[in-house]
Amino acid sequence: MSAVADSTAVAAVNKADVRPQRDNALLLVVAVFLVILGCWMLAVYRFDVPSYILPKPDAVLWALWSGLAVSPTSPIGYYLPLWGSLKNAAGGFLIGSVLGVSLGSLMAEFRTVEKSVMPYAFALQSLPKVAIAPLIVIWFGFGDGSKIAISALLAFFPMLINSFTGLRSVEPEKIDLMRSLSASRFETYRIVKLPHAAPYIFAGLDMAVVYALLGTIVAEFLGAQQGMGVVITQAQAITDVAGVFAALIILGALGIALHGLVRRAELRVVHWAHRNQK
Amino acid sequence: MTLALRAVPSASAATQNAVIRAQGLSKTYTAKSGPHVHALDPIDLDINDGEFVSVVGPSGCGKSTLLRLIAGLDPQTGGTLALGGRAVEGPSNEVGVVFQAANLLPWLTVRENVRLPLRVGGREWKVGNRVDDLIAMTGLSDFAERYPYELSGGMQQRAGICRALARDPKILLMDEPFGALDALTRERMNLELQRIWQTNAKTILLITHSISEAIFLGSRVIVMSARPGRIIADLPVDIPRPRSLDAILAHPSYQSLSRQIRALLNAQGEVE
Ligand SMILES: Nc1ncnc2c1ncn2[C@@H]1O[C@H](COP(=O)(O)OP(=O)(O)OP(=O)(O)O)[C@@H](O)[C@H]1O
Ligand SMILES: [Mg+2]
Repeated sequence: MSAVADSTAVAAVNKADVRPQRDNALLLVVAVFLVILGCWMLAVYRFDVPSYILPKPDAVLWALWSGLAVSPTSPIGYYLPLWGSLKNAAGGFLIGSVLGVSLGSLMAEFRTVEKSVMPYAFALQSLPKVAIAPLIVIWFGFGDGSKIAISALLAFFPMLINSFTGLRSVEPEKIDLMRSLSASRFETYRIVKLPHAAPYIFAGLDMAVVYALLGTIVAEFLGAQQGMGVVITQAQAITDVAGVFAALIILGALGIALHGLVRRAELRVVHWAHRNQK
Repeated sequence: MTLALRAVPSASAATQNAVIRAQGLSKTYTAKSGPHVHALDPIDLDINDGEFVSVVGPSGCGKSTLLRLIAGLDPQTGGTLALGGRAVEGPSNEVGVVFQAANLLPWLTVRENVRLPLRVGGREWKVGNRVDDLIAMTGLSDFAERYPYELSGGMQQRAGICRALARDPKILLMDEPFGALDALTRERMNLELQRIWQTNAKTILLITHSISEAIFLGSRVIVMSARPGRIIADLPVDIPRPRSLDAILAHPSYQSLSRQIRALLNAQGEVE
């Protein structure tokens, strides 16, 4: 009973500790933003940096506005290309993650798989994967296939490495526990290893989700009918630098949103890991 | 001296009741690189049904090794080892292991942790309310749905003991289960363990670094030599039960036993 009271008291104290810190962090973010904006305006208005190098902030704002304040089905808005890119990135993310965790699991469980696959995994990993993109376009064409494939490829590696590392880092005592209970290999995997690896896997997902988006955009640079990559290349073709900036801001916001989504899911699924650290 | 100290159980009683019987049991760890480690010298040990045997010995003398052999977690390299007359070939349902530092799974609640032995191992376990009974017996009912990180060290270790008892094993093996706890919590846990042993009729093998804990809980205290581990003394503890912490300190047997064990350990180059 008293232990319950104690733990809530502790929680309250922690909250009180954390609050002002978070406010400070937010303040800092706002301050840095204002400084950047200030420098930007100074460069544009005071030092007359030409607008094909650095657009005026209001031009970027206008470009953003004209892309956002339209009907979702308008061909000049961001919504259709955003949806197109997101769809392919999500597909690649899903495929890459599932394959990454699957192969990571096989490698962690079976030494022979590890020994035979690991060298190739590392070789592929150290290859700048974006450089493979043109090859993939040749194989999969200019349609959705190549976007999904490149996204999957980029999402695959962080998932492979992280799930493998997580599964292998289980404390031997936990394995001993399952052995002492005559648990099967799969029971040990499902009940001990996979949950133990979950924080690692989420860290991988966090990277994979951004990589998948990156993969789709890069594939779109190489040729596509639709997507945020197309929006950027089209704006670039007519040196609409403000348009490029606006599209980049949209992608940045999307990246932050995706990161936030993964983070939320993580707090929900592996709550025990976070409270443990506290 | 060693011989004089050894309590030799009558041969016939040992054959009938020995739930754990080791004969010439030894273990050498073979390393891929570096020298092999001779952890356990040939050991003869009979533990009878319902006994509470404490094991003390210098650090690294092979106590955990002995426990792992009995638990079926590692194979011996020499001699024979039998539980209830059957040679040990791997982990057995008749053995529950209490690990150091509780070793709970942090992603499972207390109840799920205690229930773990009943949902793995490829067998249906019909145990009725045992999980909840065990949780209640150790005073964890209010915390059954909590996660390990919400529990104190002592509570975690109680949950660990519940888990080891879930399959109602005949034998409980404990490797320094209270080593990480503060002195006060440790004393409480000792009382609790005595109660569990008295009410559940288990055979318990307890490894500990604490001489007082060994005497307080044990019906016998086994003292091991420095590595490679041998049994250098096997001392019966004839102090009536239930023992209380205050009473035992004043008991003359406690004091002489404590002195004996300390002297034996000191001769091995380790002071508690
Ligand atoms: N898996 C292993 N491989 C090689 N050597 C080992 C292994 N496990 C234990 N040993 C060695 O065997 C010896 C006995 O180890 P053990 O863990 O049984 O000692 P212990 O009596 O439990 O010590 P402590 O009181 O410190 O826990 C030690 O020298 C140790 O280094
Ligand atoms: Mg040990």
